[in-house]
Amino acid sequence: MLSPERLALPDYEYLAQRHVLTYVEDAVCQLLENKEDISQYGIARFFTEYFNSVCQGTHILFREFSFIQATPHNRASFLRAFWRCFRTVGKNGDLLTMREYHCLLQLLCPDFPLELTQKAARIVLMDDAMDCLMSFSDFLFAFQIQFYYSEFLESVAAIYQDLLSGKNPNTVIVPTSSSGQHRHRPSTGEAGTPEGVEASLFYQCLENLCDRHKYSCPPPALVKEVLSNVQRLTFYGFLVALSKHHGINQALGALPDKGDLMHDPAMDEELERLVLRWRPHRSSRQHRAKEPGAFGYQRRDKLEALQTVPPASAPTPCLYQWEPIE
Amino acid sequence: MAALPVPLPSAKMAAVEKRRQAVAQATSFTDSGRPGVPRTAATAESEEDFLRQVGVTEMLRAALLKVLEARPEEPIAFLAHYFENMGLRSPANGGAGEPPGQLLLQQQRLGRALWHLRLAHHSQRTAFNNNVGVAYECLSASGRKKKPGLDGRTYSELLKRICRDGEAPEEVVAPLLRKIQCRDHEAVPLAVFRAGMLTCFVLLEFVARAGALYRLLEDPGLAMADRRLGQAVLDTLEGALQASDDTAPARYLEAGSRLGPDSLALAMDRALVARRPSAPMTREEFLEKAAALFIAKVKPVG
Repeated sequence: MLSPERLALPDYEYLAQRHVLTYVEDAVCQLLENKEDISQYGIARFFTEYFNSVCQGTHILFREFSFIQATPHNRASFLRAFWRCFRTVGKNGDLLTMREYHCLLQLLCPDFPLELTQKAARIVLMDDAMDCLMSFSDFLFAFQIQFYYSEFLESVAAIYQDLLSGKNPNTVIVPTSSSGQHRHRPSTGEAGTPEGVEASLFYQCLENLCDRHKYSCPPPALVKEVLSNVQRLTFYGFLVALSKHHGINQALGALPDKGDLMHDPAMDEELERLVLRWRPHRSSRQHRAKEPGAFGYQRRDKLEALQTVPPASAPTPCLYQWEPIE
Repeated sequence: MAALPVPLPSAKMAAVEKRRQAVAQATSFTDSGRPGVPRTAATAESEEDFLRQVGVTEMLRAALLKVLEARPEEPIAFLAHYFENMGLRSPANGGAGEPPGQLLLQQQRLGRALWHLRLAHHSQRTAFNNNVGVAYECLSASGRKKKPGLDGRTYSELLKRICRDGEAPEEVVAPLLRKIQCRDHEAVPLAVFRAGMLTCFVLLEFVARAGALYRLLEDPGLAMADRRLGQAVLDTLEGALQASDDTAPARYLEAGSRLGPDSLALAMDRALVARRPSAPMTREEFLEKAAALFIAKVKPVG
C-alpha cells in the first residue's frame, strides 16, 4: 500500500524502474502502425487495450525478440505464454528435440534466436549431444533460467572461466562480448585436476556480481543456498541447480511449481470450450484471421488457434513454421 | 517486478533504440499498401506531426504527469484505467446518438469524481488534495439550470459509493456517514467535501487494517476470535487513541508506544492468563467496535 521508497525516487528513476517509458514508446509505435484503428475506435480505447494487454502479459505475443526481452515483465510474460500455449506437449509426455522446441518458440516470436534455445538445451543435456530428446518441463525450467537471467549468466560464465584458469575473477568487470567461449567445458579427463571450481570462492564472486549487476539476478540468498550444498561444481552443474530450484522459480514468478505445471483446470475448461466452438467454424475463423485485426484481436485469434493445435502433431516442426507477422 | 535491479538508462535507451529500428523495419516490411519507402527523417517528422495533430502527444503528456503525481505501485495498470476512464468520457464512445439522460449524466459525474479521488493514496497529501479539487469541480459543474455548486445529496451519494466500493460492512461505516453527511439541499463547500472524503478513505483503511488484525487473532479451528482477547486488543487501541487526543507531537509518540508489540502482547497475555472458556467474538463485532473508536473522534459536520 505505502512504499515510501517509490515516492522518494526522482521522477526519471521512478519511470525507469517501472519501465513506463518503454511501454509508452511502444504504445506509440503500435499506434503509428495501426493508424486506421484509431480513427475507428479512438485513441483512448487504443491505449486502454494496449496497457491492459501489458498487464495481462499478452502484449508479447508475436512480437519481435528485442521487445520480448526488453523488460523483466516482458520476459516473464513470454515464459508464461510459452508454458500456457504448449503445456499440452508436456501433458502428453511428448519428448522433443532442441530444434523442435525452437520451432515452438518461433511460433510466439518469429525472430527468436536459435542461440538462446541451444543454450537452454545445453543446460538440460549437459553435453553436446544436441539432438537428444527432452521433456517439456526440463526444457521449460532450463529455458526460464537461460532466458530470464541471460545477461547475468553471461557474466557468470566469464567469472567461471577466470576461476578455472586461475585468474583473480574480482578484477573482471563484465564480459565485453557474448562470444561462445564459455561453452567450452573443462575436459573431464584431465589427469588429477578435480572438475569445476570451488563453490565458496565462486559464491564470493557471484555475490559481488549481484551487487553491481544492472540486469535481473536471482536472489543472492538463494544462489548462496544452491552453492552451499556442494564443495565444487561446474558451470553447467550450477545452471542445472538454478533451474531446478523451487525458490528461484517462485522468485521469478512466471511459472507454477513443477508439480503444478500441468495442472490448470481453468485452462483445460477454456481449451475444451474453444475446441468445441472452433471446430464447426473452422473455415470462418480462418477467413477472419486474414482480415486486419483491430489492435491485438488478430493475435488473440492466432493464439486460440495455437492452443487448439493437437499436440500429437508436435514432433513435426515444419507444420508449425508460420510466416512472420504480416 | 519491484525487486529486480533496474537497467541503467543508457542500456535501456540502447534497447529502445534497437527495438525502434526493428519496429521500423517491420513496418516498412508490412506497409504493403504503400510503396516500400524506408523511414527517413521526413517521415519521422510527419509522424511527430501526426501524433501532435490527433492529440496523442498532449494525451500522453497529461497521462504521464498523472502517473508522476500519483506514483502508483503499478503504473501500467494505472495507465490502463486512466485511458479506460478517458474513453468512457469521450462522446465518440458508445453513447453516439441522443444525449444521455439526466440520471445517467449524474452517474457518469459520480464515476468520474470517484476515479479522480482514487488516483492517489490519501497519504500522498498533495496529489490527493489536487484530485479532491478536480473531483469537486466535476461534481459542481452539474445541471444547466441550477447554479454551479455541490449539493448535499450528491455528496452523500458519493460517500456511500466510496464506502460500498471499499468493501467495509455497512453497519460499520453507517455511523460515520451519519456524522459527516450534509442535508440534501445544503451547499457543500470544498473544505467540508475534502474533510469528508479524507475521513472516509482513512476509515476504510482503518477498517481494512482492523480486519487484518482480526485475522491474526482468529482461532484457525473456530474461525472466531476469543472475546477476551479481542476486547483486550480493542481496549489497548482505545487507550492509544485517547492518548493521541492532544495534537502535541509527544502524544503521538505515546500512542505509538502503547500500540507497540510489547505492551499489546502484555495486554493479550493478561487477557489469556485465566484459561477459562469464553464466548467468541465475531469479525463483524470486532470491526464495528474498532470503527466506533475511530468514529468517536470524528467531528460531526455543522
